[in-house]
Amino acid sequence: VNRPGTSLIARSRSLIALFALMGVFGALAPKFFTHTNLENVIEQAARNAIVAAGMTCVILTGGIDLSVGSVLALSGICAGLIMDRGWWAPMGIWVAVLAGATCGLVNGSLVTFGRLPPFIATLGMMSAARGLALLVSAGQPVSGFSPTFVSLWHGRVAGVPAPLIVMFAVYLAIWWLLERTAFGLHVYALGGNEQAAWLAGVDTRRTTLAVYGLSGALAGLSAILVTARLNTAQPTAGATAELEAIAACVIGGTSLSGGEGKIGGTLIGALIMSVLMNGLNLLDVSTYTQKVIIGLVIVLAVYVDRLMHGKAK
Amino acid sequence: MRRALLVLALTLAGCARPDSGDERAVALVMKTRNNPFFIEMERAARAAAEKRGVKLLVSAAEDDADIERQVEILETYLVRKVGAIAVTPCGSKAVVPFVKRANRARVPVLAVDTRIDAETLVRFNAHVETFIGSDNFEGGRLAGEYLGRLLGGSGEVAVIEGLAGHETGDARKNGFLKGIGEYKGIQVVASQTGEWDQEKSYNVAQSILLAHPKVRGIFCANDRMAMGALSFVDKAGSTYKDQVKIVGFDASDDAREAIKAGRPLVASVAQFPSEMGRLAVERALLVMDRPGSLPGDIPTKVELVHR
Repeated sequence: VNRPGTSLIARSRSLIALFALMGVFGALAPKFFTHTNLENVIEQAARNAIVAAGMTCVILTGGIDLSVGSVLALSGICAGLIMDRGWWAPMGIWVAVLAGATCGLVNGSLVTFGRLPPFIATLGMMSAARGLALLVSAGQPVSGFSPTFVSLWHGRVAGVPAPLIVMFAVYLAIWWLLERTAFGLHVYALGGNEQAAWLAGVDTRRTTLAVYGLSGALAGLSAILVTARLNTAQPTAGATAELEAIAACVIGGTSLSGGEGKIGGTLIGALIMSVLMNGLNLLDVSTYTQKVIIGLVIVLAVYVDRLMHGKAK
Repeated sequence: MRRALLVLALTLAGCARPDSGDERAVALVMKTRNNPFFIEMERAARAAAEKRGVKLLVSAAEDDADIERQVEILETYLVRKVGAIAVTPCGSKAVVPFVKRANRARVPVLAVDTRIDAETLVRFNAHVETFIGSDNFEGGRLAGEYLGRLLGGSGEVAVIEGLAGHETGDARKNGFLKGIGEYKGIQVVASQTGEWDQEKSYNVAQSILLAHPKVRGIFCANDRMAMGALSFVDKAGSTYKDQVKIVGFDASDDAREAIKAGRPLVASVAQFPSEMGRLAVERALLVMDRPGSLPGDIPTKVELVHR
C-alpha cells in the first residue's frame, strides 16, 4: 500500500497560495511583515493547527471528529480545576491530554464496537463534553495559574515563542507516524478501502481507536495552549474549533472521503486561515465580512483541487 | 487557486484602506456588533472622533464570549501601534495578559462598559488607564426597588443572569438583590444564567416558571434576555401573561416599545452607550498625551424607563 496524497506540485500549490496571500497582505498592510505580526500569525495558527493535525488522521481513515471543540473545553477545564487546587503545572498538562485522549477513545469505541457512523458518535460527544465542561466548572471560567504555566504560551525558548515549538513538535511527530510507520500505512489503507485493508491484515479496530484517541489528545494539548494564552480556562472555549480544523484540512488538500492527504498540507491550511484572519484584521475588514471571505476560500480551495484532480485523470 | 487568490486580492484591495498614520488613532474594540447597545456606542464614538478630527478604528469579536478572537483583533492594533485602545472585554480576566502586552508596548488601554478584573491585573502587574461605564449595581438596585414596589412588597421573583463570571452581570444581579431585599415579603426563588442570549433566556424563563409557578416578577440582566423571557411569558395562550412582570436592563428600542405597548415587560434600566462611546474617544485622546491622568472610574448615568 502506498500513501496516496497530493503530488509534489499539488502540494506546493497550497504553499504558493499561502505565499501569494502573504504577498497581497504585505502590499496592502505595511505592518504585515513586521516581526511581531508574523509571530502573532503563527501563534494564532498554533491552536487550530494542533487540533487539525489530529483531525487529519481521523479524516484520512474516512472518519470525522466533530467533538474536538468541546473536548478542548473539557480538557482545559479539567486542567484548570486541578491547577487551581494547587497541583503542579506539568500535571495540568497531563490531565488535559489524558482527558482529551479519554474522550477520543470513547469516540473510537463508539465507532468501532458500537458501529456508529463517526458523524453521529462525535456529534454526541460534542454535546456531552460541552455539557460536562459547563457542569464541572459550574459555567464559570477558571483562572489565575502559576507564572510557569502561563509561560507555556507567553514564554520563549532560545528566542522562539513556545506555542510555535509545540506546534512544530506535534507536526514532526504526526509526520513521522504517518510517513514512517506501519501505523501510517494502516491509516491510509483504512481510508482507501476499509474492507480491503481488513483483508490485507490491517487491524482496523485498533487503528480507528488510535486515530480518535490521538485527535482527542491533541485537542487536550491545544486546550493547554489556549488556557495559558488567556490565563483562563473557559467552558465555552473552542466553540467552532471543529469547523476551523476541518477547514484547515480541506484547504491543505485532505480529501473528506478519506485515504488522501498529507499532514504538511494541513499545517499550510491552518497557516492560510490564520494569515487570512490576521491580514483582514490589519485591513479593518469586519469580522462578518471575514466569515464570508473564509467561506469562499474553503469552497474555492476544494473546487480548484477537484479541477486539478479531474485533469490528472 | 492562484486565480482564486487574484480575485480575492482584488476584492480585498477594493474594500481595504491602507493603514497609514496610526500613531494618533484610537481603536475601539467591542464585544460584538449584533446588539443595538454596541451599535449605539460605535455611532457616538464615530461622531466624537469626527468632531475631534481623530482617526477611529472600530472592530468587534463575533459574539460576547469570543475572547480568543477579540484578543487576536487587539493584538493587531498593537502591531499597528495605535495611540490608544478602548476595549469592552469579552472576558474580564482573560483579557489581562493582553493588557500586559499593551503596557509593554506603551499603548494605553481603557476599559469601556465591562470592568477588567482588578485582582488579575495586580497579579500580572498590568495597568488599565480607566473604566468608563454604567453604574451597573445602581441600575440593578433601581430595577429591584421598582419591581418590589410594583408587586406590592410580596411574592416570588426570579433572576435571569448574564454569562457566568461576567462582572457586569454580577453587579446588576447584586444590585437587584439589594433593591428587592428592601421588601421583606419578597423571595428570590430562582436565579439562572441566560448567557446574555435571547433564545437561551426563553428556555430559562420556561423552566423557571415550570418549577416555580408562583413567580410574579423576573429581572433579566440585559434586554436581549428580557425579550427572550417576554416572548415566552407573552406568547399566545400563555397563562403567565397577566401574572408575570419582567424588568430588563439596557432600555433597547424593542424593549422600550414593549414597555409602551403595555406588554409584561414593565421597565428597563437605560444605560447610555452613546456616552460611553463619546467618552472613550475623548478620554483616549487625553491619555495619549498624558498617561496616568485619568481617574480610575468614569461612571456613566443609569435611568429607569417604565410606563
